[in-house]
Amino acid sequence: MAATIIGGLLQGGVFALLALGFALVYRVTGVVNLCQGAFCVLGALSMYTLEQTLGWPAALAATGAVVLTTLFGALLGLATFVPALNRLPNSSMLMLTAGLLTLVEGLVLIFWGSQPFNLPAFSGEAPVQIFGLRVATQAFWIVGVVAVVVCLLWYLLTRTMIGKQLRACAENPMAARLMGINVTLMSTLSFSLAAMIGAIGGIVLAPITSLQFDSGTFFTISGFIAVAIGGMGSFVGAIVGGLILGVAEQFAAGYISSLFSNGIAVILLLVALMFRPNGLFGVGGSRRVDVRDEQQVHLGIVRIQNGPAVTLSTAIVLLLAVLPWTGWFDSILPSLIITGILFIGVLGLDVLMGFAGQVSLGQGAFMAIGGYAAAILAVQYDWPPLMGVLAGIVLSLACSMGLSLVTMRLRGIYLALATLAFAMLVDSLITGWMDLTGGPSGLVGIPALSVGGYDFATPFSMYYLVLALGVVLVLLLTGLMRSSFGRALKAIRADQLAAAALDINIGRYKMAAFAISAVFASISGSLFAFNFHYLAPDMVGIPRSLEMVTMLVVGGEGMLVGPLVGVALLTLLPEVFQPLALYKTLAEGILLVMTFQYCPAGLAGLTIKQLHDVFEWFAARKHISPRITQEDLR
Amino acid sequence: MIGPALVVANISKRFGGVTAISDVSFEVPRGCLTALIGPNGAGKTTLFNLVTNLFPWTSGDILFNGASLKGSSSRQIAALGLTRTFQTARVFPRMTVLENVLVGGHRHVRSHPIAQALWLPSARRDEMQLQARAEEFLELAGLTRYCHEPATDLPMGSQKMLEVVRALMTTPQLLLLDEPAAGLNDSETAELAALLCAIRDCGVTIMLVEHNMSLVMSIADQVIVLDVGCIIASGNPKEIRRDSRVIAAYMGNDGGQTCA
Ligand SMILES: Nc1ncnc2c1ncn2[C@@H]1O[C@H](COP(=O)(O)OP(=O)(O)OP(=O)(O)O)[C@@H](O)[C@H]1O
Ligand SMILES: [Mg+2]
Repeated sequence: MAATIIGGLLQGGVFALLALGFALVYRVTGVVNLCQGAFCVLGALSMYTLEQTLGWPAALAATGAVVLTTLFGALLGLATFVPALNRLPNSSMLMLTAGLLTLVEGLVLIFWGSQPFNLPAFSGEAPVQIFGLRVATQAFWIVGVVAVVVCLLWYLLTRTMIGKQLRACAENPMAARLMGINVTLMSTLSFSLAAMIGAIGGIVLAPITSLQFDSGTFFTISGFIAVAIGGMGSFVGAIVGGLILGVAEQFAAGYISSLFSNGIAVILLLVALMFRPNGLFGVGGSRRVDVRDEQQVHLGIVRIQNGPAVTLSTAIVLLLAVLPWTGWFDSILPSLIITGILFIGVLGLDVLMGFAGQVSLGQGAFMAIGGYAAAILAVQYDWPPLMGVLAGIVLSLACSMGLSLVTMRLRGIYLALATLAFAMLVDSLITGWMDLTGGPSGLVGIPALSVGGYDFATPFSMYYLVLALGVVLVLLLTGLMRSSFGRALKAIRADQLAAAALDINIGRYKMAAFAISAVFASISGSLFAFNFHYLAPDMVGIPRSLEMVTMLVVGGEGMLVGPLVGVALLTLLPEVFQPLALYKTLAEGILLVMTFQYCPAGLAGLTIKQLHDVFEWFAARKHISPRITQEDLR
Repeated sequence: MIGPALVVANISKRFGGVTAISDVSFEVPRGCLTALIGPNGAGKTTLFNLVTNLFPWTSGDILFNGASLKGSSSRQIAALGLTRTFQTARVFPRMTVLENVLVGGHRHVRSHPIAQALWLPSARRDEMQLQARAEEFLELAGLTRYCHEPATDLPMGSQKMLEVVRALMTTPQLLLLDEPAAGLNDSETAELAALLCAIRDCGVTIMLVEHNMSLVMSIADQVIVLDVGCIIASGNPKEIRRDSRVIAAYMGNDGGQTCA
């Protein structure tokens, strides 16, 4: 009991540090920085290299690692985060930081590989006895360091000129700018300070937890949950939230199962969101609101005209239909199938993100629900596959309804963060529920999809199934999006207040968009399971969710072709350039960040725009003004 | 229906220490065009925000068609047939002018989303009717040539006009317009005046906030003058033009004293 509490407080101390980093960046810039956890890993692994590989003394190595990580954070912030602040709406900023998280994880993967690392304890492994309890010496380091960091941060923020300026930016950036405060500098400073705090947290924790390249996601989510429990933007709340979370997780791990400890965190978060949306020490509503304030970003409208769109899509479908017959593509047929399956999932995400403007970081979780429901029912209960798919859809619908009900009344980017937390919950349930799901090693022996006695057992048949399904779903969405439903979603994305004033039921439409995205993801997850005859948690985990966001943004959101371009690019390219697979994560991160920076309409959007300009140019040369007719509406 | 369209009874609103609206009462007669005028910061926009419940009022009551609007959300108020426009035009970016107008007609769409997805005849019919009406209104407002342009590419004045058209698509019973003529040139203002009169003659009650006095005086049936959160005068345009308190408020005398 006492040992559990101590363990929890130690873990909680580190969560508190992370949460402080979140709170700092949030207060100064109004953005939830999902990259926070990556700095923990970066700090700890830098120290590992300096200490173990280069043989530096521990103190020097620790200092070096913190300095390096802070510098890296400052550069990263200056190059990507800070310039985007003025241009991107809040929800895009959230995705940008998710991209940064992927980017740093990719870097770590390249430099340190994927194996777990452990630092030696700072003062030896022998525990000391206090009141009959054996306590690892590292515990004192953690408590001490956390206390020192908290005190220093408090001093910096309340007693120094820089602290005053930081807080001024937090209160009102416009006024701060008018008063001559360098808001850019302060934003960079907060980002670097957060990186530094993260690095310190990672370094003191590394001796008692092993870290690997993708541990950053876990730290980010834990830190975020801590700060959400405590109250977004409150420093006291961050510390209290961190400690509560740490203790709760240790209790869950000690008394239920270590695999469910993540689940506890998420349940705590959802309960907190339901009963105290502003957290225990919340500082009122968030400064920015949850609509993607497109007013700041002038994007214009990218759209293919009706005639060319029909011609082009018919051509693409015909091309895809004859592809397998040529025999040239047999080697990549499996990748084409995966592309098609993921396309369905990302298409759903597009309805939610591209059209309704709500961010979901948990699309993978709905794939997991669809996949596992169908697979478990088929393997363990001998259900016909189609019934399993339906069961998955129903379950996904129920979960999406529940999540939107919980987050509906809340302002801010809570839906995005709740979906991320939900993804973690689903992940931990799947990993934990060994008997049913096969745990981390996955579920094997899933039969082929069979419909009315026909088995889609060969890649050939699967390919055509996915193609047909994709075409049908795209056609349905085309109808929906060009009608009043789609217009209502776009209006909500553009301006909720004005939409409500026109009698548009915002809650209902958001819920519908979320439901559509969940159903699409569920279908895609089921297909995944039946295609591979195997399903493991990491096929539908959080990295998958983030990857789907990247695919959508890179391809181009708010258009139905965008997802196709994005998914094809990110699925087929790594397949073609196999030796570069190591760089995939890094490339995804960089692509996402760069797209936000230089090509906000996505690749599809850019291409269409270029083509359009070329046509215009030809039309102008021939002195024929482009005809605008009734059908050119879309 | 008989009785006034809108009754505002003893409404007050404080923002912290600032009293933006203090004990304001008035009625908007059905089928009339009521103008709300007053110097900058008088509380005109705040009054509109209170009527559409963007924030709750401190005391008093607001009745629309005889029913209190207390506690209704802005969407529910819109559903009752009370539509407003905003002082800074809030057209939807990333949508064309026509699409913007079509969104306004959203509440008249009866077809189910599933019918829309399948592009069934019922959905198609809805869409065609909506489109025909939208084109008619755009023609009336002289915006037809911008039909397929992105709404945010329009000049500010046309955006305000577009907002009026969009509001009209909801077939409101009462239309609240916040400075629709701001940013319009003289000929556009004349067009707007004609449009507003035509709308009123169709039986739609209009209340508008406007700084352009000649517009107000030429089309309004009733004028209400607000200054520092209080009504200092109301009546038909002729009476208002002669009212000494109104002249004082506009000439920069301290309006607050007349209020007490
Ligand atoms: N949300 C708010 N918070 C605090 N004060 C407000 C808020 N909205 C309005 N006010 C204050 O209420 C008063 C009335 O403002 P309002 O915008 O209603 O004036 P107005 O008559 O519409 O002026 P204008 O002609 O310039 O549009 C002003 O003093 C303003 O500062
Ligand atoms: Mg105003």
